[in-house]
Amino acid sequence: MGQEVRPPLPDCLLIYPTTPPYALERDETLTTMQNLSFVLEKTGVVKFEDRPVPKLASDYDVLVNVKFTGICGSDVHYWQHGAIGSFIVKAPMVLGHESSGIITAVGDKVSTVKVGDRVAMEPGIPCRRCIRCKDGKYNLCVDMRFAATPPIDGTLAKYYTLPEDFCYKLPESVSLEEGALMEPLAVGVHITRQANIQPGQSVVVFGSGPVGLLCCAVAKAYGANKIVAVDINKERLDFAKSYAATDIVVSQRESAADSAARIIKDCDLGHGADVAIDASGAEPCIQAGIHVLRTGGTYVQAGMGKSDITFPIGAMGAKELNVKGSFRYSSGDYRTSVDLVTSGRVSVKELISNKVKFLDAETAFNDVKAAKGIKVLIEGVEDSA
Amino acid sequence: MIMKTDEQDSNPSFVLRAIKDVAFEDRAVPKLRDEHDVRIHIAQTGICGSDVHYWQRGRIGDFILNSPIVLGHESSGTVVEVGSAVKNVKVGQRVAVEPGVPCRFCGYCRSGQYNLCNDTIFAATPPWDGTLSKYYIVASDYTYPIPDHMNMEEGALVEPVAVAVQITKVADLRANQTVVVFGCGPIGVLCQAVAKAYGASRVIGVDAVQSRLDFASSFGADDVFLPPKPESGVDPIEHAERVAALLKEKFNLGEGPDVVLECTGAEPCIQTGVFVTKKGGTYVQAGMGKEVVAFPITTACIRALNIKGSIRYTTGCYPAAVDLVASGKIDVKRLITNRFKFEEAEQAFELVKAGKQDVFKVVIEGVQ
Repeated sequence: MGQEVRPPLPDCLLIYPTTPPYALERDETLTTMQNLSFVLEKTGVVKFEDRPVPKLASDYDVLVNVKFTGICGSDVHYWQHGAIGSFIVKAPMVLGHESSGIITAVGDKVSTVKVGDRVAMEPGIPCRRCIRCKDGKYNLCVDMRFAATPPIDGTLAKYYTLPEDFCYKLPESVSLEEGALMEPLAVGVHITRQANIQPGQSVVVFGSGPVGLLCCAVAKAYGANKIVAVDINKERLDFAKSYAATDIVVSQRESAADSAARIIKDCDLGHGADVAIDASGAEPCIQAGIHVLRTGGTYVQAGMGKSDITFPIGAMGAKELNVKGSFRYSSGDYRTSVDLVTSGRVSVKELISNKVKFLDAETAFNDVKAAKGIKVLIEGVEDSA
Repeated sequence: MIMKTDEQDSNPSFVLRAIKDVAFEDRAVPKLRDEHDVRIHIAQTGICGSDVHYWQRGRIGDFILNSPIVLGHESSGTVVEVGSAVKNVKVGQRVAVEPGVPCRFCGYCRSGQYNLCNDTIFAATPPWDGTLSKYYIVASDYTYPIPDHMNMEEGALVEPVAVAVQITKVADLRANQTVVVFGCGPIGVLCQAVAKAYGASRVIGVDAVQSRLDFASSFGADDVFLPPKPESGVDPIEHAERVAALLKEKFNLGEGPDVVLECTGAEPCIQTGVFVTKKGGTYVQAGMGKEVVAFPITTACIRALNIKGSIRYTTGCYPAAVDLVASGKIDVKRLITNRFKFEEAEQAFELVKAGKQDVFKVVIEGVQ
């Protein structure tokens, strides 16, 4: 409210009016745009674009006015490389998938949320009909439609549609900013579920980015009594120590076996840790993760780096380790995340390093690319002058 | 694409109008509700105790008959119409029909327990129509193609096999375990057969009727047991403990079987079942009888038993059931003792109701 100075519109701003004449107008204000979106046009090129407000696909869908969106490494990766594995950006795609917002419209059969509700948005819609979906593992659905995974548009727009059961109402005590952190927190919840962390266990987490940090926080909430954060960056480790880790270890140039031995010794891990989580994707960490476990321990691969690496399979076999992957989140993870934050057992506010306006989205992407801060949030499209 | 375009086509149906009041009605040919639906021309339908129960009593638990419903839910048929998004079946394909389609949105559905969905549309569970019509509409992912060498009667029997598969899934049955199954009716003998197919080392069937035990012996059970009747004046719990001890001794079960599947719902069997399960073993309640029974709960506690309920089926049960029948591991044809034409449906129900010993599984042919 009041006399806010509006930033000048960036040169890349393109506006497509919905009524003739269809000439480009460079002086339009935000108020006439229906659904301003932040689009990855092709590798390396992002732009702002007005798109039609999405229609509700079914009576069970809702329309959300997106308020905050966090940026993930995958968003940056598509921007810089145009692909992750077999997912290739072949046409312009809206970025972003870690969002919260306010419901502005609901389909006729919606019964669990209403207009005005503040929600965390789960951005991946499964088919609900395949074997994986019906078996409770909808994150593995072969027909998954995931925001900002090509060709599905993401949430960095004014509006986004979702089925009602993929919106999670936030209690009054939880802010919309925290709501945008529910997505990475759900990733952390899913990883710890895969790891089957039990009270009293010891956990080593490789990588102190947002996911690694959240794994530490969830492990702590679940009663792990020793949580070791490992990273190359001392600043991130100091933060991890103040946040949720009980011990921190700085990675050094040494063999994976030596690294593991050092972690075990410095952190009093006895015969080895019960659980190792890799949230870095880095080959040396993966190797050290196998070596740092006790016999019968559990290893979970969450981080994504090189697709193929040299893996200590001998140690894995001889120590009878449980080795699992973890991908996104499935049934119950978002609900658990909201509960963890609501009850105060996990705090996510500390991870928010910066908030930028929607029109400054590209600078936020640059910051994440340069590994500045922990979590940068992009505010939703502003309504009016 | 539709196989039959005859405008005169109708949909004769066998309807439960009110308690003990059934009739044939000619209803409209049902339409596909969305692009994922298929229309099935029903070929064969088996009768289940629940169908008879709704007919005679009008309710099971919270499901109450308030308006007419078509009966039947254990069916097979031929696909005659498919929605535009259907990929798993084609017109002309012969399928087994899974009669309960959940909402797909609730927590149960999303976590892999769709048998617990509160909004399941289940054939012949009020208020939903069943499969004893010429045609039935169902979501395509709840139909399972059957191979050419499986006939339609076997296709209809896939449903109770799927129930047995779910029971063994709930029991977490592992190879080389010992299993005692109370009840040698269709579900009991199918549980015995599934347990055998899944590598149980020893399967023992228990029943009060000798002819049923004889059949079970020839079907899936390694051994069978006829419990002695209690002497007059004996406390039923004491008697159950004695029977359990007898069972363990007679079949060298040591401290007891690893797994007990209770497929009768009869109170004495439930009690005996708890007493016979070995320490740390698993007891699964599948049979439905009295809603409240005297239960040996301290025994269950001290012996650290895992006690679970089993209802209907979940993901993977139908494909497993089709495979068990198609591969010849379970010969369901042997369960069918009586066959009726569609017009004779009421007689079929009367026969099941009469509960004669020589009547096992009764099937009703679809409308031709």
